[in-house]
Amino acid sequence: MSLNELMIMRHEWALVAVALVLLIAEIAMPVEKKKQINGLAAALAAVVVVLGFLPAQYGSLFGGMYVTDPLRILMKNILNIGVLLIILQSVSWLRQDLYHDRSSEFYLLTFASLIGVNYMISSGHFLMFYLGLELTTIPIAALASYEQFKSKSAEAGIKLILSSAFSSAILLFGISVLYAANGNLYFESFELSSSLINTLGFIFFFSGLAFKISIVPFHLWTADVYEGSPTNVTSYLSVISKGSAIFILVIVLFTLFNSIQLLWQDVLYATSILTMTIGNLFAIRQQNLKRFLAFSSIAQAGFIMLGVINASALGMATVIYFMLVYVFSNLAAFGVIQTVGHASGKITIDDYNGLYKTNPQLSLVMMLALFSLAGIPPLAGFFGKFFLFTAVAESGFYVLLTIAVLNTVISLYYYLLVVKAMFINTNATPIAAFKSDYAMRISLVICVVGILVTGFYSPVFEYIKNLCETF
Amino acid sequence: MATSAIIFYTIAGIMIIFSLLAVTSRRILRAAVYLLFALAGTAALYFMLDYQFLAAVQLIVYAGGIVVLIIFSILLTTHINEKLEKPAWGKVFITATLVLGGLMLTLFVLTNHEFVLGTEPTAEATVSVIGERLLGYQAGGYVLPFEVISILLLAAMIGAIVIAKRNSTKS
Repeated sequence: MSLNELMIMRHEWALVAVALVLLIAEIAMPVEKKKQINGLAAALAAVVVVLGFLPAQYGSLFGGMYVTDPLRILMKNILNIGVLLIILQSVSWLRQDLYHDRSSEFYLLTFASLIGVNYMISSGHFLMFYLGLELTTIPIAALASYEQFKSKSAEAGIKLILSSAFSSAILLFGISVLYAANGNLYFESFELSSSLINTLGFIFFFSGLAFKISIVPFHLWTADVYEGSPTNVTSYLSVISKGSAIFILVIVLFTLFNSIQLLWQDVLYATSILTMTIGNLFAIRQQNLKRFLAFSSIAQAGFIMLGVINASALGMATVIYFMLVYVFSNLAAFGVIQTVGHASGKITIDDYNGLYKTNPQLSLVMMLALFSLAGIPPLAGFFGKFFLFTAVAESGFYVLLTIAVLNTVISLYYYLLVVKAMFINTNATPIAAFKSDYAMRISLVICVVGILVTGFYSPVFEYIKNLCETF
Repeated sequence: MATSAIIFYTIAGIMIIFSLLAVTSRRILRAAVYLLFALAGTAALYFMLDYQFLAAVQLIVYAGGIVVLIIFSILLTTHINEKLEKPAWGKVFITATLVLGGLMLTLFVLTNHEFVLGTEPTAEATVSVIGERLLGYQAGGYVLPFEVISILLLAAMIGAIVIAKRNSTKS
């Protein structure tokens, strides 16, 4: 095994090295200096992101168990940036005295989960895929119950681990059915015929993944887990976990299950309508902002499925572009909720009444994020949705397109409710003015720049589209 | 019917009965013991297939290790005499219908599929072959998953610490 071969796997090597450095730092550092681990973790995350962008070779390792190509590297880079933003947003929260001797565990588990994400995206074998999926979920289940003195947090942890164990079992059964019918677990030599047994295997496989993406009717765990977990864990779940599952779903559908395309288009058609509509209708009723964003992220997953249905390079490009935009927009919204919750402990929409008077900058960031999620031009979210709709129209699903557009209007309504609360509603006792820490500000600035640049700078989409065409 | 078929159906029957008992029992300690028998049945199936190594691992790790861990944690956290509530009949009915429906569907598909026997000769599962496979990095080698599992175990241990660690703040 030469150095070049090792370089192919550099995302994973870097992350494993980071995890080991943190582990040693946790053991070696004296207790009173433990707070420096926060800065160290953020710096290491930044190094990982930079390493990911360096040019390197592509290929497959371990006899096809591990595959990389430019597109997979792009997916990993998008998610690595997301994790860097989440870590920057967590710093001030973890610097509290309450967590002074637990903060390095938080970062270790986050990085462990990110290793899982990277291996899952690069998997060329069902075993690696499954291990990556488990490694993505199990550390996050522990993090969901990080605030152990709150019963809601413990409940979130147990709900996440039980529902993910259940969905993994379904997914494994699907894989074993597919293996029984085809006698092969390597992706590159996997050939699927359209027989009944493959249909059954695919349905089980898809259901297992749909749990992770929280597609309706597999979404029931989402709202409770999102509400109970600490805010930064919620943002990890809604951006990184969901994003990685969507990426691997796209890869698997476009390569392994390419021959039963008509089947999965039907499945996605039905689930995307259900997901968009139910996510939106429930989002309107929410007062708690974390539950609100939980249902909004369910609805967004429904929109993403629109791009997948168009089974071509264009569809794939729209999905990845939308995810890129979604990472920035959703993390901006969660960052504001995180910093407001940390400063004042307030989390409902009514609490945000009159926020603009006291904290104008945060209100503006939140407004940009929500506008981008809703898809208001000229922000990036508009182009994301616009491309998705183009992809659906191109494949001729006009009924689906109409339903999607109607759903966008509904989503506009509830996103604007929050904007109205911040800017128009008056409040006798608004959240007092406060200053958020540097790390949080840096992450919010990166998010805002991301929302604006991915929207205005068209080569971004062209680049993704070129990569997808050569995939 | 051949002897092996009789043995297979006996083991399978025992496994099904104990699995059902494990999920329907209202006393949690009994459920754990029923699980032990279901896992031992799996080991017996591996012996039938001549996978001696796998069978031994199944017995040592699952039947020996994991069930003992489960029983320990039950004894440390709950009262032995505690009985779960009787589930409502409506719920039992709906669950049973769904499970039976799913079972029928899966059985229908599986029995109607003509499985093709592989042409490759089955490799002898000796310890040296298993060792080479586990550490091989060519096609058919499993060293990468082996290493990823070790990361997973490390993460799981840290996760357990995060959940179990008490807050040491002086409040």
